[in-house]
Amino acid sequence: MSTTDGREIALVTGAAQGVGQATALRLAADGFAVAVNDVVDDGRLTALAERIGGLAVPADISAAHSGPDTVRIVGQELGDIDVLVANAAAMAMGPFLEQPQELWWRQVDVNLSGHFRLIQAVVPAMRRAGGGRIVIIASGWGIIGHPNASAYSASKAGLIALTKGLGRELGPSGILTNAIAPSYIDTEQLQVDADDAGISLDEMRQQYRDLIPIRRLASVEDIAGAVAFLASRDAGAFVGQVLQPAGGVTRTRA
Amino acid sequence: MSLSAPEPVAVVTGAASGIGAACVGRLARSGWRTAGIDLRPSATDMSAELDVTDREAVRKAVEAVVARFGRVDLLVTAAGYYEEGIPVTDITREQWDRMLAVILGGTSNAFAAVLPHMLRQDSGAIVAISSELALGGSATDLHYVAAKGAVLGLVKSLALEMAHTGIRVNAVAPGPTDTPLLAADSLWRRPDYLASLPLGRLVTPREIAHTVHYLATSAMYCGEVLSPNAGAVI
Repeated sequence: MSTTDGREIALVTGAAQGVGQATALRLAADGFAVAVNDVVDDGRLTALAERIGGLAVPADISAAHSGPDTVRIVGQELGDIDVLVANAAAMAMGPFLEQPQELWWRQVDVNLSGHFRLIQAVVPAMRRAGGGRIVIIASGWGIIGHPNASAYSASKAGLIALTKGLGRELGPSGILTNAIAPSYIDTEQLQVDADDAGISLDEMRQQYRDLIPIRRLASVEDIAGAVAFLASRDAGAFVGQVLQPAGGVTRTRA
Repeated sequence: MSLSAPEPVAVVTGAASGIGAACVGRLARSGWRTAGIDLRPSATDMSAELDVTDREAVRKAVEAVVARFGRVDLLVTAAGYYEEGIPVTDITREQWDRMLAVILGGTSNAFAAVLPHMLRQDSGAIVAISSELALGGSATDLHYVAAKGAVLGLVKSLALEMAHTGIRVNAVAPGPTDTPLLAADSLWRRPDYLASLPLGRLVTPREIAHTVHYLATSAMYCGEVLSPNAGAVI
């Protein structure tokens, strides 16, 4: 493949900002040819792809054909995908009894079903190649739950079970599926949370820090580092595992 | 950080063989100074031969490391041994006491030896080697599994007690690993057992060492148990 010079190929969903963007940058720095996906390209996706010499593949992964279509485009432009980072997520906070069904399904469709179809689309080529890596960005809330985040937590818990099932089913084919369950991360979402709470961004950061035993918010680079580790040869004995770079918030093993 | 020793400094127990030796190699390749504690000499920058059950000897060995290198940034506790194929009723008092003394006591002794220095530095990382068996249980080596399980309780509690400091405490729970601890006729080397694992093979000491290095250099883990185990416990 002339375009990738023999580099391994990674696809990162939800890459326009935050953890996905940091992950694309990190994997590119680690030598991967990186395709970046997000629901729409408002310019950020293309800018990121240009910056890392990668490929922008905008698509709503919850749409029925977008998984196979995205994988086909990456295959044509870069080559078969070696590493899939399942990061795209929809999130809508709200009391359980007040959450409309469409918001439940939106979160489940993107977070869980969208990645289910995407994984179905990447596995055949990984099998042919004799292996691959699937890194799923779950959430600490998928392990311990969270008030007013029932659908989000359930979708992320579903991803953890998917990680374990695929770990067992695909492990013998050399395809290693693992997950990362972060907690509070210093991303653009914090400003949204601050606006919702009617406080400043710094006050929001401090509130979250107080919930974390090590009193430190994760940076997007911290989470990207965990992805890079799981995507590397160094993590060859990890399968079906859930890493929790969460500063001690969850106090349990998933 | 001391000007005379800009490289980070690691103390590794059980450094002479197996997982401990692999950790020493991995860290040295990344520019760390290494100090080994083992019954036998280790291929480290500074080797101390002693029994980790001797709390005072461990303390003095770590003092000597700090005296020479100026600091201690990482402790890896890999000292241990393994006995399998013993029904619970046949585990003698001596076998039980020795296993707990080496694995739990030895780990605790090493923690106690490095903590005053790390607290003074306001930084440090501790990575304890436990076992996948401590997560899933095992039918043939109860004293070993009890000791390795106790190490996880120690790690999780110390992690929370140290959380407000700059000291991060975590564990690695390896799956069956290809080291001298596994006898040639070990149950864990049998083809029928390996075929039951999703990855169908033993874990390598290098893979454990990579995991230790990753934990040692990552900021967000607190009381975490990472288990590179080839699928033995999912």
